[in-house]
Amino acid sequence: MRKSTFYLLSLLIVLGLALAACGGTSTTPDTAVEEPAAPAEESSAAEPTAVAPAEEPAATGKTVLNVWSFTNEINTMAVAFEGLHPDVDIVYTMIPMTNGEYQTKLKAALGTADVPDVIALEASFVKEYVEADFLADLGELLPVAEANKTYPFVIDVGTNDGITKAFAYQATPGALFYRRSLAKEYFGTDDPEQIQALLADFDKFTEAAAIVKEKSGGNTYMVASSGDFQNPFFANREQPWIVDDTLVVDPMVNKYVETAKLFRDEGYEAQAAQWQEGWFAGMNDSLVDAEGNPKQVFSYFLPTWGLPYVLAPNATSADGTHDTSGDWAVVTGPLPYQWGGTWLGVMKESPNSELAKEFVRFATLDQDNLTNWATGVYTNEFLKAIDPQVPDDQQQAPGDFVSSQVVVEKIIPSFDNSDLSAFLGGQNSYAGFAEAAPSVNAKLMTGSDDAIQRALNDPINQYLNGEITEDEMWASWKDNLRIEFPDLIIP
Amino acid sequence: MVLDKSERKQSRSKVIVRRRFKKNYYGYLFIAPFVIGFLVFGLYPIFNTLYLSFTDTTLLSKEANFVGLSNFQRLFADDVFTNAVKNTWLLWILNFIPQIGIAMLLSVWFTSARLKLRAVGIWRALFFLPNLLMPAAIAALFFSLFSFYGPVNQFMVRAGLLPEAKQFLQDPMVARGLVIFIQWWMWFGATIIILMAGMTSISISLYESAMVDGASGLDMFWRITLPLLKPILIYVFVTSLVGGMQMFDIPYLLTDGRGSPSGSIMTNNILMYLKFSSSKGHIGAASAVGVLVFIMTSVCALGIFYFLRERD
Repeated sequence: MRKSTFYLLSLLIVLGLALAACGGTSTTPDTAVEEPAAPAEESSAAEPTAVAPAEEPAATGKTVLNVWSFTNEINTMAVAFEGLHPDVDIVYTMIPMTNGEYQTKLKAALGTADVPDVIALEASFVKEYVEADFLADLGELLPVAEANKTYPFVIDVGTNDGITKAFAYQATPGALFYRRSLAKEYFGTDDPEQIQALLADFDKFTEAAAIVKEKSGGNTYMVASSGDFQNPFFANREQPWIVDDTLVVDPMVNKYVETAKLFRDEGYEAQAAQWQEGWFAGMNDSLVDAEGNPKQVFSYFLPTWGLPYVLAPNATSADGTHDTSGDWAVVTGPLPYQWGGTWLGVMKESPNSELAKEFVRFATLDQDNLTNWATGVYTNEFLKAIDPQVPDDQQQAPGDFVSSQVVVEKIIPSFDNSDLSAFLGGQNSYAGFAEAAPSVNAKLMTGSDDAIQRALNDPINQYLNGEITEDEMWASWKDNLRIEFPDLIIP
Repeated sequence: MVLDKSERKQSRSKVIVRRRFKKNYYGYLFIAPFVIGFLVFGLYPIFNTLYLSFTDTTLLSKEANFVGLSNFQRLFADDVFTNAVKNTWLLWILNFIPQIGIAMLLSVWFTSARLKLRAVGIWRALFFLPNLLMPAAIAALFFSLFSFYGPVNQFMVRAGLLPEAKQFLQDPMVARGLVIFIQWWMWFGATIIILMAGMTSISISLYESAMVDGASGLDMFWRITLPLLKPILIYVFVTSLVGGMQMFDIPYLLTDGRGSPSGSIMTNNILMYLKFSSSKGHIGAASAVGVLVFIMTSVCALGIFYFLRERD
């Protein structure tokens, strides 16, 4: 009898394992795309080039330049740079930043022999480095930036106390993408100008959300998650998070919490957290709720890079049965904002600082390079011709919005009849972004933003779920902040 | 010249002395890799951590000041640290009790002379398998299973067990339960292997004579297996305690890496890592957490040795 109990128990446990294993394979989320400007090309992440000692020239007698980044994007420019400078060997190291691995690795390398020559800095932490004392002064490149009419906020972000330490090849104004077919159904028009008028501020946006819910019988959500509109609210604060070492909660933050709560309670959002399965499923209409009913998402807040890197690749479902390409349109949305972007800086300790500066100039301020970058010249064949070792998926598709106004104005017409405009039902998104970019303001950005905003996510979720009160939410957030900001004065 | 007897004896003893010295010398040489490794990677980091915990060192600033005990004071200024310690103990104890219980039960069955189960090796291998999976893969698996649009919600709603989909991973009790389950599931197989090794080393004749004397299975377990297994149990206990106090990967990866929801799976090491990876990289403050966890674990481990020691 005991024997049979044993077999039964064992069988149950083994069966449990087997079930758990089966269930997961079909549903593993695409967690690769966590951060802005991450094209989710994880294949090159698997084999990051080993960090070669910077002082030692390679066997070929070339000068070695070490470049660290968190996506494989900049490797494209590195190969193009090698094409122009045959005597230079760029050793490219990619460390993903899904949970902050890149930042941690970089911090640990500071002041050691492993420190690279050039580092990529994402918008969420670029200020930490611009405010600290590890990056070289790139002021000598400012006249080039002026000639390029580089968007002012790009330079503001890279500047601290009048010293410019980082430049970006991208400008990243935000936008609102919506489904044309759904707009026609609920608002009687899919014309971007009329839709923009309907969604011109957040009160109107909320009213529109109610209409969408009512007319769809609750089967279409205005947004996939309330986290989607966190950026627009936070970008329109009047004060940064920290003033004189004291935490500041701007009224816009309260307004965000209020709006998020309203969207949850009224069922205007799908509760599909950003960068998770449901969020991507909404982009191609394959979202299905727990009971099996199909659900739709009306709009997504995404910036420039969100179109070529996030929305377009996910508009077709993995099994090919759902496709929303061509059914999208883009407008400014209720509030102007900016999201993400990659800056490049040169480490002070770099033994090849002149060459490193030249690389940063080439990547961020060279008009030819920026034009090639944005218009799809850097194909895999192009890169393979320079370096046959380049991975097969290394390339740059057209459409990234660059930081130079001169280049942008020159290339706008090339997007008139492109694949991207076909995706947007004929709209030239590049022209729209060109209008939004000059007015972007990044003066609020500080090095602590990312950590402060991340710490708010869980308390907000608890509040939205109704587990805690709003007061408890603020208290819990402040406790979280104390962990990471021991010197911050929290009122 | 011919040596006389006594001289010959002397020189022979010299050879022996030299040989003995040489032997000892080689012994030191052989243990040197461990000792050097321990000094460099074990002892030095401990003292360096202790030193750092009294400073305000950060990774992003070049100078650091001696700040006395203020890092420690800060840890007790709010209940984040005490909460992390409580969580760590809760998560460890609740996974260790079923872990040792099930492992003990299965080991007894596997080694039982009465049951004589077949294919023991296969069962043991199956139970050990989860331990071979990467924690990252397991965390990702459970993350998607229990996500809002995931299969668990689909199953439970369609089976009528839940009225509507639930944000499982935003519920503190569910998150804790999952961590406990995963830790148990990953580690009970490893414990079985150690316990079985201990049980098979107990002489079978003890059981045979007990059976002749009419002892029941339970009697044999309490009076033969358990007492003779004590050294093994102490080992399992202490290694699991040390591992449990440093629990990191599963709770870190299961939610947002901040011990969410509501700090319910915030463990000692996640707190330490948060301080380390904070905007400036406060390694001084992180070291203070490490020092306290080190002291707590050492005291408890020594306590286990003391209470479970052989008493004459």
